[in-house]
Amino acid sequence: MIAQLTLIERQYAIMISAAVAVCGALMILVGRDDAMGIHGALVFLAGILTIFRIGESYFAPAPSDERLAHYYDDPSKVAIVLAMIWAVVGLAVGDWVAWQLVEPDLTFGVAWSSFGRLRPVHTTSVIFGFGGNALIATSLYVLQRTSRARLPDQVSPWFVVYGYNLFCLLAVTGYMMGITQSKEYAEPEWYTDLWLVVVWVVYFLVYLRPLARRKEPHIYVSNWYYMAFILVVAILHIVNNLAVPVSLGHAKSYSAFSGVQDAMTQWWYGHNAVAFFLTAGFLGMMYYFLPMRAGRPIFSYRMSIISFWGITFFYMWAGSHHLHYTALPQWVQTLGMTFSLMLLIPSWASAGNVLLTLNGAWDKVRDDATLRFMMVAGVFYGLTTLEGSFMAIRSVNSLSHYTDWTIGHVHAGALGWVAMITFGSIYATVPWLWKREQMYSPKLVEAHFWLALAGTVIYVFAMWNSGIVQGLMWRTYNESGTLAFSFIDTLVAMHPYYIARAVGGLLFLIGGCVGAYNIWMTIKVPSAVTDLAADVPQPAVVGSGALRAAE
Amino acid sequence: MIVEHALLVGISKSFGLFYLIALSVAVVIYAMWPSNKKRFDDAAQSIFRDEAGPWR
Amino acid sequence: MSFFGLHYRLESKAIGLTLGIIVVASIGGLVEIAPLFTIHQTVEDAPDMRLYTPLELAGRNIYIREGCYACHSQMIRTLRDEVDRYGPYSLAVESKYDHPMLWGSKRTGPDLARVGEKYSDQWHVAHLNNPRDVVPVSVMPAYGWLLMTELRIDDLGLHLKAQRAVGVPYTEEMIANAALDAYAQSNPDSSLADGVTKRYGKATTMRAFDGRPSYLTEMDALVAYLQVLGRLTDAAHKSVAQAGAGQ
Repeated sequence: MIAQLTLIERQYAIMISAAVAVCGALMILVGRDDAMGIHGALVFLAGILTIFRIGESYFAPAPSDERLAHYYDDPSKVAIVLAMIWAVVGLAVGDWVAWQLVEPDLTFGVAWSSFGRLRPVHTTSVIFGFGGNALIATSLYVLQRTSRARLPDQVSPWFVVYGYNLFCLLAVTGYMMGITQSKEYAEPEWYTDLWLVVVWVVYFLVYLRPLARRKEPHIYVSNWYYMAFILVVAILHIVNNLAVPVSLGHAKSYSAFSGVQDAMTQWWYGHNAVAFFLTAGFLGMMYYFLPMRAGRPIFSYRMSIISFWGITFFYMWAGSHHLHYTALPQWVQTLGMTFSLMLLIPSWASAGNVLLTLNGAWDKVRDDATLRFMMVAGVFYGLTTLEGSFMAIRSVNSLSHYTDWTIGHVHAGALGWVAMITFGSIYATVPWLWKREQMYSPKLVEAHFWLALAGTVIYVFAMWNSGIVQGLMWRTYNESGTLAFSFIDTLVAMHPYYIARAVGGLLFLIGGCVGAYNIWMTIKVPSAVTDLAADVPQPAVVGSGALRAAE
Repeated sequence: MIVEHALLVGISKSFGLFYLIALSVAVVIYAMWPSNKKRFDDAAQSIFRDEAGPWR
Repeated sequence: MSFFGLHYRLESKAIGLTLGIIVVASIGGLVEIAPLFTIHQTVEDAPDMRLYTPLELAGRNIYIREGCYACHSQMIRTLRDEVDRYGPYSLAVESKYDHPMLWGSKRTGPDLARVGEKYSDQWHVAHLNNPRDVVPVSVMPAYGWLLMTELRIDDLGLHLKAQRAVGVPYTEEMIANAALDAYAQSNPDSSLADGVTKRYGKATTMRAFDGRPSYLTEMDALVAYLQVLGRLTDAAHKSVAQAGAGQ
């Protein structure tokens, strides 16, 4: 890894790490009376360890210019491994809190393990840890190949990967210590947010420079989506996290917004985090890896452009459907509902593109679990966006809001779409990146696929049932015109569904562990074939190596 | 300067609609413009072009 | 030369895409959010609106710290069953000092917007200590350590100052006395108690919330906060009464 860096790059890396360590030391100093001090120690340690790691190989011989004839994939490799670690951690914590709703004393009586603190650990680990690392890894990979340009330098991508993971680590450890802004999916406190801004600006520049130096006249559509992901997440993050800290030595801050403005800002953020983090970025992934794996170009490139601008435009208005029947002015609610319905058009254009691209290659889908991951992702994307538009209708929302139906909807998208397309793309990339003929065990990919699918279906059906039952029970009146059920009655009715949900989550977790093991073994066990030196993958590597001549 | 709430809401409600229509039309025209077809077909195929590494 | 021309053209295209995305994506947010910052011109006002006392604010921060908002909403929608179950629907003005708002998005437990004074302090303490002692089928985590953890009050003045910076009208006097006021609110017999009602109003609840006046714990703060929920202003009750009179 470090041997690939030139001497100057090693020096830059040490300087940056030293700057990080100094920031950590300052945080220890000013935050010594606060939980912030512990985070300072963590940052300090991260900086120092990186310096030592570089120092170890500092005097290694400089790399030859031959490296410039290849794409720079080391950061992508590391980000994929980190993504799988976050996936296992995040899914495990998610399943743990699911069991806590079955048996509440699974907190074991300590503060850090209660549902309220672990829930953001789960969401941050899976969305930002797993999803974010997968996006960084694949975006750098796709960027270089579609623009046929190498990354601009060899330090900034490392800064993005490690800096981003430091952000995730600060976020997750913070929640367990009680450091949170309480804004859903934007829980990290002010200094962690500032750090992410720095990382994100570098990420944007890393992304822009190869695009500007590209050989292809047209910017491939995947890059549009990745670009929208990077840019809009930056806007959302900065606006929603505007806050005034109690003091420079306090982790705690107070949001610049209050009440109804804060609610609108938060759900403008929250819904567009779904749009641009969990949709746009992963669509970028899909538009590259699906054609590559299937060995055929995307069905309609035009449709992908139309849906790109549709998603970029419509989603921004849709956030207010999270606030139906609340104190938010009704015209804003109506706008949100209208645009949520219109969102169905670009969303189904994308989902349709997936299925139509595969149309005529169903034998490949049957034989290749990796391609099947991508197909199922497309199906769940279509279903979830339909459900989302449906749930944004005011009268439907009056039933579904505040219930488990929302949780079911989110997981249909997160497990069915985001995780499936990610696993599919990772299974496609890993052999290409590590120059292996195929995954260590195609059988385990197959096992992972069925575990993931079964887990998702059980989870989503359990939550649909519990959500609708609970919503109906809340609004049921008896003959005398009073409410028929107490809140506790509805809670008791949820119990069997909560067990089913936790079982579904467990299956998905086991699948994730199988995937992590398989990827690790693919990396560790050297390939029998050694002449796969080309940087650009052969399209349509289906299942076993024997099928490769099929195209 | 005092910004009137009613004015802002009015702009939001009317301008939003025109903006929506204009943007949709523009995007569809861009995507469907006949002379762009070759470019898009070419782009869809571009990811398969086998090149060993970065172009410089 | 032509090489540079090509280069610049391509580069400008990548930047054009960047700008296009920013412009297209920004407008939806601007159009929806901007008018909300002038909303005070039209929505109901509540002249009787009180501020959170330092103790209640500390309790609110514990509520945030423990992630209570993940399972409890504080937003009663304008639906008949919600009004029957939880009380008058929530008004925008009621959360105007809430930085951030805690409207929530999920009701694994019931809504808390009007839970203030619905249950006794003893009930809350017992319930937070172990929910299943009071509600046998509850799935809420137990928060036993709150009773044993002393509340940090020395920095409450800084908290009030930061709140003022984002627009909550705390006075110099409130900021200067923040720590003492927190102590006095849960110690109603102390000589400092008068200062709290003078600064925060007669309606302020002065009680030893966890039952131990001499000992200020996180439980005191959290219960003080829960007991003030929905009671900072009467605006919601008034607007229901007006609507009733109008019919």
